[in-house]
Amino acid sequence: MTSTKKMIITLVVVAVVCATVLALFYSFTVPLIAKTRVDLALAGLKEVAEADSFLEIISDTLWNAIGPDENVVGIVFRVWPQGYGGLIPITVGLDNDRKITGIRIAGASEGLKETPGLGVKITEADFRGQFIGKSADEVRLKKDGGLIDAITAATISSKAVCDGVRNGIEKYAQYGGPEFDKRNIFPDADDFIAIIKDSLWYALKAGDTLGIVFLASGEGYLDRIVVAVGLDRNKKIVGVDILMSQETAGIGELIREKDFLAKIRDGKPETISGATVSSEAVITAVKEAAKSYGEYLK
Amino acid sequence: MKNPGLIFLGAFLVNNIILMRFIGLCPFFGVSTTVETATGMGLAVIFVMTLAAWITFGIYHAVLLPLGLVFLRTAAFILTIASLVQFVEMFLKKSYRGLYNALGIYLPLITTNCAILAVTFLNIDNRYNFVNSTVFALGTGLGFTLVIITFAALRERLDQAPINPSLKGYPIAFVAASLVSLAFLGFSGLFGLS
Amino acid sequence: MNRWQIFTRGIISENPVLVIMIGLCPALATSGTVRDGFGMGLAATFVLFFSNVIISMIRKLVPAEIRIPVYILIISTFVTIVDYAMQAFQPDLYRVLGVFVPLIVVNCIILGRAEAFASKNSVLNAALDGLGMGIGFTLTLVVIGTIREILGNGTFLGYSVLGSSFKQYPVTFMILPPGAFLVIAVLKAMINKYVRKEI
Repeated sequence: MTSTKKMIITLVVVAVVCATVLALFYSFTVPLIAKTRVDLALAGLKEVAEADSFLEIISDTLWNAIGPDENVVGIVFRVWPQGYGGLIPITVGLDNDRKITGIRIAGASEGLKETPGLGVKITEADFRGQFIGKSADEVRLKKDGGLIDAITAATISSKAVCDGVRNGIEKYAQYGGPEFDKRNIFPDADDFIAIIKDSLWYALKAGDTLGIVFLASGEGYLDRIVVAVGLDRNKKIVGVDILMSQETAGIGELIREKDFLAKIRDGKPETISGATVSSEAVITAVKEAAKSYGEYLK
Repeated sequence: MKNPGLIFLGAFLVNNIILMRFIGLCPFFGVSTTVETATGMGLAVIFVMTLAAWITFGIYHAVLLPLGLVFLRTAAFILTIASLVQFVEMFLKKSYRGLYNALGIYLPLITTNCAILAVTFLNIDNRYNFVNSTVFALGTGLGFTLVIITFAALRERLDQAPINPSLKGYPIAFVAASLVSLAFLGFSGLFGLS
Repeated sequence: MNRWQIFTRGIISENPVLVIMIGLCPALATSGTVRDGFGMGLAATFVLFFSNVIISMIRKLVPAEIRIPVYILIISTFVTIVDYAMQAFQPDLYRVLGVFVPLIVVNCIILGRAEAFASKNSVLNAALDGLGMGIGFTLTLVVIGTIREILGNGTFLGYSVLGSSFKQYPVTFMILPPGAFLVIAVLKAMINKYVRKEI
């Protein structure tokens, strides 16, 4: 055996063995990793709301908290206000009276970038505890007329938390499912039956299923965008509307333009120049949700 | 954070790869003895880092992801960078003799420079697109160069200073790094970057 | 050199971080707390031990010209195993260590030991060497982590040790990057003065 041949064979054998070992190990750990992530997320939600289970309304952002007897006892939402060092990930629980049941702020190990020793104190129970039982108006720093004591030398972080929580409550409080007229999305139908609570409905006309209406969401430039989409039995889009979006006024908010939505409806989506991120987020969200909900049409 | 300008500033100053992330320390302490070698090393890093960002972007998105082979990422990236460095060295030697004379001796050192590998991983973890990956690699490389040159200038002075023998060499270099790093903390919070 | 020396030299006389000055990046970046330092140390020890053993086993089969790529392949396999295992079983730790877990692959200690020792010695010796170097690395991280956590946060392994008033106003500087550089500077100076007097 020549030495070149031996070199190639050795290299190939080692590469194949390594790849096989990794493939086996990967297939063994992937389900575990997924389960760990779900468990962690659930534990985070249970910290802020007393509920038996949570129903996701907007992926990774908004949940209905379900108590005994399948009743909705409140909502849990996540917000990411801009703090001193970066975005602050906050999970907030709200009961049906729109009072806060608890807030949780991700620690430094989960991506909080506030100053160690100062801003990081927003994660401590002393600070977080102040929010429990408060309503949106009371969630301001005392110097701004609210009831929350700021942390010494960490006013920016403290204020960011208050603003994030308050804006979140204002944005999501009305959520018993986003209020929208499904007939705008699916004009031909006269009745809608929920299949997945607050995310997917069958569109009916005189008892016949015409298609589905569903919610899709995607990460926009500033925040999450939620879109309602109607799909007929041939998987053709019959209507699209933006339900929720906090994009930059005059730029990202161009996604609300009739022209842009009409193009998605006609199956010829076009990104808006100057608002590429926002418009691409909408297009991708619609496309992916249509794909995954498409099987309900069978 | 998807704005390329902010990504650049973040990589260049606020999250400076050496002083804030502690990546690439070995070459940092190893070749920052004179300004001249530091400049050569810095330029070689910028060059290879950007190339590596492009190539690994292609490998990850065109090969590993579609084929479901993401678990080979670490192995694939490190081998890619090692071969890339070899190719760059051969190419420069043949075609750009001047550049080779300037950067050549630093190239082999780059294979084990964790900064290069780190940038390719961070590009994937941060889900940067092609443009942002490039910007991130450039910013990081420039940040590396800025710090390594600044630091070399400091060390040239330190060599002249009367220093306690136990502190000579590495310890005093670490103390200097600590002070420079303290200065860089001042960038934290700039434009809301962290 | 007897087996005991092979095992112990990585801990003090040839301590990778404080004496040979390699593997600095993780030693500084992941030593903000004792727990993080210990986790990183264990991960690196695992890779060091197994790659040393495997490389020593196949040392006579691998042609010299391609030994480096072969070593890199083997090391990156173990690094990926640690990476996924940590994601599955220690997700909190993984979030802190982040990119430093896959970066173990370029940790100069590991390739250095493979090339300098495992490729020339018996499996048992290579295993002892890997274990010793790994323990030396872990201990160093734990020492740095202890100093930084106690001074910077007033805690040890999360438990308050310096009283509540210190906990309220700790030397925050220590858990920030400059503190890491300073701690290692002091440790290295002490090693120079008391352990390696010849310098």
